[in-house]
Amino acid sequence: MDNTYDTAQRKSLSWSGLVLNALLVLGVLVSIFPFYWLIVMATRTNEDIFAYPPKLLPGPHLLDNVQRMLDSINFWGSFANTAIVASLSAVLTMFLASLSGFTFAKFRFPGRNLLFILILATMMVPSQLSTVPSFVIMANIGWVGTLQALIVPGLAGAFGIFWMRQYATAAIPNDLIDAGRLDGCNHFQLYTNVALPLLRPALAFLGIFTFINSWNDYLWPLVVLINPDRITLQVALAQLQGLYQTDYALVMAGTLMATIPLIVIFILGSKHFIGNIAAGAVKS
Amino acid sequence: MEHSRSSRRRFLASAAAAPLVLTGCNVPGFSSRPEGDDDTIVLWYWNRSIDPQLFRDFEEAHPGVTVNDQLVGGDYASRFNTTLAGQAFVPDVVALNNDISRYFPDADQFVDLYEMGAEEDRHLYLDWKWKAGETLDGRLIGYPMDTGPLALYYRHDFFEQAGLPTEPDDVTAQFAEWEDYFEAGLELQQALPGVRMMDNVPYIYLMTLMQAQEFYVNRDQVYVGDGESVRRAWDVALQAYGMDLAARVNPFTPDWSAGVSESSFASFVGAVWMKQFLLESGNNVAGTWRVAQTPGGPGNQGGSFIGITKYARNKELCFELIRTIMSPESQVRMYKSLSLFPSAIDALEDPVMSEPEDFFGGQPTAEQFVTTAKELEPFYFSPAYPIAHGIFNQEITDVVLGGAPEDVAWDEAQKQAKRELQHKAPWVKWEEAS
Amino acid sequence: MGVHTVAAPPEAPASTIQTPTRSGWERWRDRYLGIYLSISPFFIIFAIFGLFPIAFALYIAFQQWNGIGDMTFVGLDQFRYLVTDPLFRKSILVTIQIWIISTVPLGLAFLLNQAMRFRMTYRVAFFLPNVTSLVAIAIIFSSIFGNQFGLLNAGLQGIGAERIAWLNEPWGIKVAIAAMVVWRWTGYNAIIYLAGLQAIPDDLYEAAKVDGATQWNLFKDITVPLLRPVILFTLITSSIGGLQLFTEPQILVGNTGGPNNEGLTMVLYLYQQAFVQNQFGYGAAIGWGLFAIIVLFSIANYLIVGRRSDNG
Repeated sequence: MDNTYDTAQRKSLSWSGLVLNALLVLGVLVSIFPFYWLIVMATRTNEDIFAYPPKLLPGPHLLDNVQRMLDSINFWGSFANTAIVASLSAVLTMFLASLSGFTFAKFRFPGRNLLFILILATMMVPSQLSTVPSFVIMANIGWVGTLQALIVPGLAGAFGIFWMRQYATAAIPNDLIDAGRLDGCNHFQLYTNVALPLLRPALAFLGIFTFINSWNDYLWPLVVLINPDRITLQVALAQLQGLYQTDYALVMAGTLMATIPLIVIFILGSKHFIGNIAAGAVKS
Repeated sequence: MEHSRSSRRRFLASAAAAPLVLTGCNVPGFSSRPEGDDDTIVLWYWNRSIDPQLFRDFEEAHPGVTVNDQLVGGDYASRFNTTLAGQAFVPDVVALNNDISRYFPDADQFVDLYEMGAEEDRHLYLDWKWKAGETLDGRLIGYPMDTGPLALYYRHDFFEQAGLPTEPDDVTAQFAEWEDYFEAGLELQQALPGVRMMDNVPYIYLMTLMQAQEFYVNRDQVYVGDGESVRRAWDVALQAYGMDLAARVNPFTPDWSAGVSESSFASFVGAVWMKQFLLESGNNVAGTWRVAQTPGGPGNQGGSFIGITKYARNKELCFELIRTIMSPESQVRMYKSLSLFPSAIDALEDPVMSEPEDFFGGQPTAEQFVTTAKELEPFYFSPAYPIAHGIFNQEITDVVLGGAPEDVAWDEAQKQAKRELQHKAPWVKWEEAS
Repeated sequence: MGVHTVAAPPEAPASTIQTPTRSGWERWRDRYLGIYLSISPFFIIFAIFGLFPIAFALYIAFQQWNGIGDMTFVGLDQFRYLVTDPLFRKSILVTIQIWIISTVPLGLAFLLNQAMRFRMTYRVAFFLPNVTSLVAIAIIFSSIFGNQFGLLNAGLQGIGAERIAWLNEPWGIKVAIAAMVVWRWTGYNAIIYLAGLQAIPDDLYEAAKVDGATQWNLFKDITVPLLRPVILFTLITSSIGGLQLFTEPQILVGNTGGPNNEGLTMVLYLYQQAFVQNQFGYGAAIGWGLFAIIVLFSIANYLIVGRRSDNG
């Protein structure tokens, strides 16, 4: 495992290594720069932003801009909505995907393959195909403009069940299940007592993944949350930009406030996240 | 181990139950029922379509009642349509634009105002306006709001210099037809090099079209885009183009405002609400403009209606609100505060309509618009209108601005209209010309 | 394997134990009830919100409907219109053009991972673009690519060049969108390539070097072929993702896709037709068009990249 690392180290001392390292540093700078620029714009006045030559350092006006932004849109309301939706989506998805994934992984039952193929088949279908019919369905069950319209459809995501099934197959030894059976556990108890503890790392990943995707979701909330008083953060941000286009300081302050929470969560949870994404990609 | 297991299960259980419980209660966020009760009216309108003070007055007159007026920006009709499709958060009362008949196929989404007793008010309003809010099978879904009678705005000083009549009545008499107006235009442009007779050609197309009673699809849902009304508007516009009578500035642009203040054009045809733009742009030329009747007959562009959706909780209260804010007195008030031209007959005869206006050299221009308003005939906008008009407008703009050949553009427009309408308005009937 | 077979009580002749006779139903219940109950929440939701919409989308695509009132059945008309619709074709073109511009730098990810050290900071930095909301990114980039006062134009002015009205130019719009896509995925892809790289056993390299292989040989004959599944994975995910672009163009240039629809991607067109023009039937048809294009694209990707002749 270390070998590529050693090679990399040796390489880094050579000429090509130097170039590649420079590239790496450049890559990091490029990745970070837009965030830096966001901070600069959010802390300056519009005159500064539109000035030429541009001011490249952050300024002192963050609080003013944030205050103006808070007066312009229902930031905290949409923040709360987004937090609720993302949290519930994450928790419920973790629950459903792990329960179902565990069942598919470790048990044989009639229809098992058929059902799973059904799930796989829908993975090929783009979600936007369902946008119009889903809206109509929501209209007919009275869920247009509600938060459950954002939470519930996503709970039956193919990725989650796929991921948990993979993991469960590998991580849960059959003997433990047998032992549980002998102890008289019913299926659900097997899930809570045997499976859940073993599935924790995969659950952590799925939870964060689902949380982030739910937080960032745009098209579906835009379509289904037709009440402008009750929207999520992304939709609010888009509205802010639409209404106050040229007031960059205002819009950027909102963007900054909307982005920070997720960055914090991501950094805190990054070790669960990054390793798993890479591993998952390689395995598939 | 036991503790964490059971607490985990409790957590799971409550997590699963939460959304179900919340759906049941009227918890904000989880319910699609609008907030408020039977004494709240949710109303949608767009900027400057109604004077909000009228809402406050209504609230005062009816203690305990709240009017939750919501200004809706952007694509109003599209938002309203999507809301109706979503069957959630539909307003109780809604302002509707001049193309109200686009809602006729979905008339069941609105309350039939005749059922609320609207027939009693019919005599208060201009007949054509009242009829325009009525569906083809006699349901009244839109109560009259304001109107947009057209007029010819002109620079009387330029007309004088060109040897043309200057008094509004004389101008009206002289320019009975568009051709007369264009002929005079040539004379004026010769006498005053550097000044054009009108602002732009594509808008003339629209103005002429608005003098007709049916446009691209008639009341029987038969396509008439190759028929008289459209052909006339097309020909008139192209005549003006051929005679090079336009300054090529589009209304609602800074160029147009500059054209006013720099006196680049001597006249234009527009609705009563163009007055506001003229006033805003023409400070330096105040006193030089007058208003006369449009060549070719009276026309109307714009104007609105107000209706009650079937989702309204307290329909009687909503109807009360509508009658109050659209009463002749209220319409006079809105004319004074927002220049919204009334549709109520008594309002049209109010003394305020005869007040001289400084900007127009003391002419009481409202009188001209009242004359027009009273002469208008009922018209019909099919739901296909926005689609068809977009196409024709584009084609004529291509001719005028891009130099496309006229007959090619006409055929293109017909072809495109057929294709689009068959796709988006499949109920339209196509009769082959013999 | 067969877990439940162990747990069933033995019907063995152990005479001492009087097991009550159990009906077939009870046996079935013990065996399967827990299982089906466990997967049913998922499948109920899946049926209602996953499967049914797809079938419904087909139904709606055969109708002319504004979302309210009655639907008018029009047969294949929406699809007929779709394949002759110049605006839909434009949206396909725009989407693919943006995809091309944003996929070419895929090689960048490759280069990056060659030098990648294992430091967490790098990985966090490279992942950050990927987890940030598209709306936020689009807003930031629309200011950088601003028509007059953006950072890029400031840079151009600084070197004495003319300012470009990025969001008014056909290629400007596409470059701006592609820039966002590249920025978002390069770091992510680099990390994935690194993981894939680490999965290649070092013995292969050692053996080849003993045989006198050069660096280039190692790269061409070992690294690339063994990384092919990973490359395919990133290519397919980027294709499918790229074909579904919506947020970036919508925030950047609005619902019409900007001047001359140069930023009108397929999904933006779908949104515009269904929810701005209130053409629900046509919107559903566009969804099917999108699906068809994605399938074609995936097949093409697989044929081109996935089945190149094996080298070793």
